[in-house]
Amino acid sequence: MLALQLAVNGVLLGGLYVLVAQSLNLIFGVMGVVNLAHGALIVVAGLFTYWFATHTGLNPLWVLPIAFLAMGAAGAVLQRVLVEPLMRHGRRAELLSLMVTFGLSYVMIDLALQLWGADFVSVPYLQSSLSFAGLAFNKALLISGAFAAAISAALYGWLNYTGSGKALLAASQSPTGAICCGIDVGRVRLLSFALGVGLAAASGVLVIIVIPLAPETASDFTLLAFVIIALGGLGNYVGVVVAALLLGIAQSVAGYVLGGNAEYVLPYVLLIAVMVLRPERFRRFAS
Amino acid sequence: MSAEGARPALALDEVVAGIGPLTILQGVSLELREREVVVVLGANGAGKTTLLRTIAGLLAPRSGNISLFGERIDGRPAHRITRAGIGHVPSGRELFPRLSVADHLELGGRYAAPERRAELRRRVLDMFPILAERAQQRAGTLSGGEQQMLAIARALMTDPRVLLLDEPSTGLAPRIVLSVFETFPELRRQGVSVLLAEQSLALGLSAADRGYVIDHGHIVLEGSAAELSADKRVADTYLGR
Amino acid sequence: MRPAAHGGADAAVVGLFAVAVIIAVPFIASGYLLQLATDVLASVALGYGWNLISGFTGYLSFGQVSFYGIGMYATALLVTDTPVPWYAAVAVGGLIGAAAGFALGFIMLRLRGILFALGMLGLARILAVIFNNWGFAGASLGMSLPAALTPVAIYAGMALVAVFAFACNAYFVHSGFGLDAMSLNEDEVAAVAFGVPATRVKVTAFVLSAFVPALVGGLVAWNRSYIDPTSAFDPSLDLETVVFVLLGGIGTLWGPLFGSVVLMLIGEQLLVHLPNIELAIYGGVVMLTVLVFPGGLVGLLNRFGWLVRPVILAPRDLPEAPPPPSRPAAAGDAPVLEIKELTVRFEGLTALSSVSLAIGRGETLSIIGANGAGKTTLFNAITGFVQPSAGEIRYLGRDISRVPPYRRARLGLARTFQIPRLMPAVTVWENVLLASRHGGQAHRAVEHTAWAIGIMGLGALWREPVARLSPGHQRQLEFARALGLWPEIMLLDEVMAGMTREERELVRAAIRRLPDFGVAAVACVEHVIAAVADLSDRMVVLDFGRKIADGTPQEVLRDPAVVRAYLGEPL
Repeated sequence: MLALQLAVNGVLLGGLYVLVAQSLNLIFGVMGVVNLAHGALIVVAGLFTYWFATHTGLNPLWVLPIAFLAMGAAGAVLQRVLVEPLMRHGRRAELLSLMVTFGLSYVMIDLALQLWGADFVSVPYLQSSLSFAGLAFNKALLISGAFAAAISAALYGWLNYTGSGKALLAASQSPTGAICCGIDVGRVRLLSFALGVGLAAASGVLVIIVIPLAPETASDFTLLAFVIIALGGLGNYVGVVVAALLLGIAQSVAGYVLGGNAEYVLPYVLLIAVMVLRPERFRRFAS
Repeated sequence: MSAEGARPALALDEVVAGIGPLTILQGVSLELREREVVVVLGANGAGKTTLLRTIAGLLAPRSGNISLFGERIDGRPAHRITRAGIGHVPSGRELFPRLSVADHLELGGRYAAPERRAELRRRVLDMFPILAERAQQRAGTLSGGEQQMLAIARALMTDPRVLLLDEPSTGLAPRIVLSVFETFPELRRQGVSVLLAEQSLALGLSAADRGYVIDHGHIVLEGSAAELSADKRVADTYLGR
Repeated sequence: MRPAAHGGADAAVVGLFAVAVIIAVPFIASGYLLQLATDVLASVALGYGWNLISGFTGYLSFGQVSFYGIGMYATALLVTDTPVPWYAAVAVGGLIGAAAGFALGFIMLRLRGILFALGMLGLARILAVIFNNWGFAGASLGMSLPAALTPVAIYAGMALVAVFAFACNAYFVHSGFGLDAMSLNEDEVAAVAFGVPATRVKVTAFVLSAFVPALVGGLVAWNRSYIDPTSAFDPSLDLETVVFVLLGGIGTLWGPLFGSVVLMLIGEQLLVHLPNIELAIYGGVVMLTVLVFPGGLVGLLNRFGWLVRPVILAPRDLPEAPPPPSRPAAAGDAPVLEIKELTVRFEGLTALSSVSLAIGRGETLSIIGANGAGKTTLFNAITGFVQPSAGEIRYLGRDISRVPPYRRARLGLARTFQIPRLMPAVTVWENVLLASRHGGQAHRAVEHTAWAIGIMGLGALWREPVARLSPGHQRQLEFARALGLWPEIMLLDEVMAGMTREERELVRAAIRRLPDFGVAAVACVEHVIAAVADLSDRMVVLDFGRKIADGTPQEVLRDPAVVRAYLGEPL
């Protein structure tokens, strides 16, 4: 029964991770850029949600559409101002974009520090649990996991069943091929970055309902997302879902058996283990 | 042939282009008339792919003009050139390995007028019935010949007036290549002009009305298919005899 | 970068001034100012440490703070548990950091680009967690150090570390080893193809760039007399280091110094007027620098000809160098290169299938075939960049199938690349020197470099950056670089592609002269047969990974199988 309980919690956590990772994957797949400010975006959106919920007393989920749209728009500006100009540097673009987004992450972290301080905070939302068939479901985790899964599913549907979504997939699989269809790849890149940033913000809103956040945890989420993509396969949206769920379960088991620290370091240990043992997994990142 | 006297569809005037430090095209001029099939012959590395990529706008020419039905297109972004009516089947095909055949056709027709799109789709599937059978299959799982057909089909879905075909024979058995070339009369009927880059002399000339021979970025010979077939210098350019 | 216009006098002035300031500070400053000077020196040292791996070698690390933390803890534990004096504890702490760098370097440096950067970021987090939970070192509460040293002693220690870190950078800028490191940044594959032992070079750079922060960490532990995991593995320290070096000029000798001094002094002012937004400002500076002037302050000064990196090991003028000695007569009559039943498969695709060929002494062999015929794969297998699935490669009678690529280059297997893979940011001289230092004439690398540049007709351009050369000259430089290895055999991969007619004639002339330069055998890959037919003694034709013909050019060109492969199936 305990095993089942852990598995259920893990799946719910994993559902949240899917969204955390998918947004990074979107940007990386199309632009070849690892957005090191990914975690900072999540944290800023999460802390804003905290501020909003504590000050207005409204349901924190109201922030979801606001954060998505506002940060998405900001993402579009960032793409044009910060990232796109680097693309003319060819081979060096990869490292330059790492440095730029590294700088951006600290601007956002400091912004968060100034506005909301350095402490870990969480949104006091749905702190009870739901008992069902002898299992206890944390309501917040349930809601957050469900919303994350729904957004991921919507993203999946958009990518696979609409023309503009397919154009994005096409541009990530072969930019030249996309141009041969008349697709404006520059615009697709703008869209993917904006969407990736907007979804990162949306996942931040859902994360803080479940996991306490502080500005300093920003890079944890960047790395978490990257580990999931690395395990699941770049541009492989189904693989990412599986990897996120497995990581959620593994973390929930490790947390129970070995304690909170094990839960915390697990993604990093996995990252390094995969890098060392299966470097071919990363060939597409490194090329 | 039927192309005699037709107006020029595509014209290049002294086009110079290259990659990085290398200048590959050293001033290429050529003309493709409406409904004509023209082959650009040359050994590997002679500049065929660079030529097609430059026309398609994937490489910006360093100097010279490119015009489509009298309208300058050089310097425009590549996707605009595609929409202006240049379909490109690039070398390496550049398909989307994880998207289905149907998705490729849909994406190719994305910027065609909606009523035209259905018409294009019907024609393309008439031309390549195998693609209708494979509609839900991912491009990455198709055979080489089917992939080539899909690349052509995708380009035709953009409703091109000029089709650029980059070495469709690469990696394909001659029989399959011939079946690709068999679509040329149909394309001609639809008003499409074809510029074919080909390494294989016999294959290339069998399909074309006229041809150019390119060597080290220069056009060294031109003539009708019959003239070039008879011209010993063509083979000599290749074999260095 | 233009070669230095001031003959290094500008650098000497800046260096002497810096030394004078470092010596003067303890006499004129105390209290807050002395602490500020110590902090600046710590930043300078960290910047120089990071510059070695991320600036020169090009492996961007966002985790060097790991070694800073390791140094801190090692020093603190040594002092509390053993009777060693403080300086010994700091030194040993530094060495422990370096040892950790050595072990981790072998693992982490297998990764490149984004992966290495993220891997290092993750590593710092793991270490922070370990120390947060390690009871022995006080866990998250941290630990105190006994009675603090005098501020002057700590200042002096920090000054020594900063000078040491600077000296490491100066060594990189002036030595052949530094050239090896920079070649990895430019193009690791090409570097290895010219004999650079990539793993050894980057691990060395990494160990040094771990040693320096570990020393700094040890001194800071003394300075603060209290350490805890949060400050020891504080990721914003990496931000500071990155921003200082970037602003000053990444991969330059003076960048870390300028960046640290300028930003620390401005930072102090900012802290007074705009408290708490240091991180945001640093982040903003990183973004602006990358976008607006990626060369940093030193890059700006370089435009005026100041503080330009000197050309490595360059003599004042290109000397008239004698040719290398003639080679001792080869024992036996083994072919220079012999390939037996070589098969290469990639993920189910057979690129080469059971190809055998031999190249004898004094022979020029051309290997021709269509695109995808396996020509370049063959070269990659010979030079060791592709592992054959079966078969044998014998060089001078010895099986080299298991020899790593950089050693094959050192044995005298030189190659050129289809698209020249030169180092565009450095000079003609350095491109050739890179190879000369690893080839058969390494003991007289400078003379040999001068000779190779001279005979390839690049004498007038020897101090020019490669980016300014014409394609023809770049091709000549590729030959000169290959000759820098003093090769026994040269593998030329489509050297005529993208050449004008005149340039092609120059290349053909160069190929004809190769035997005079001590090259015992030449293999060229071409698809334009005309370009090589009259140069070749023998021709091998590949088609879909198989050898379909082997003989004199006359025989091969008449071979029906070849005609079919080249002109297409007659219909």
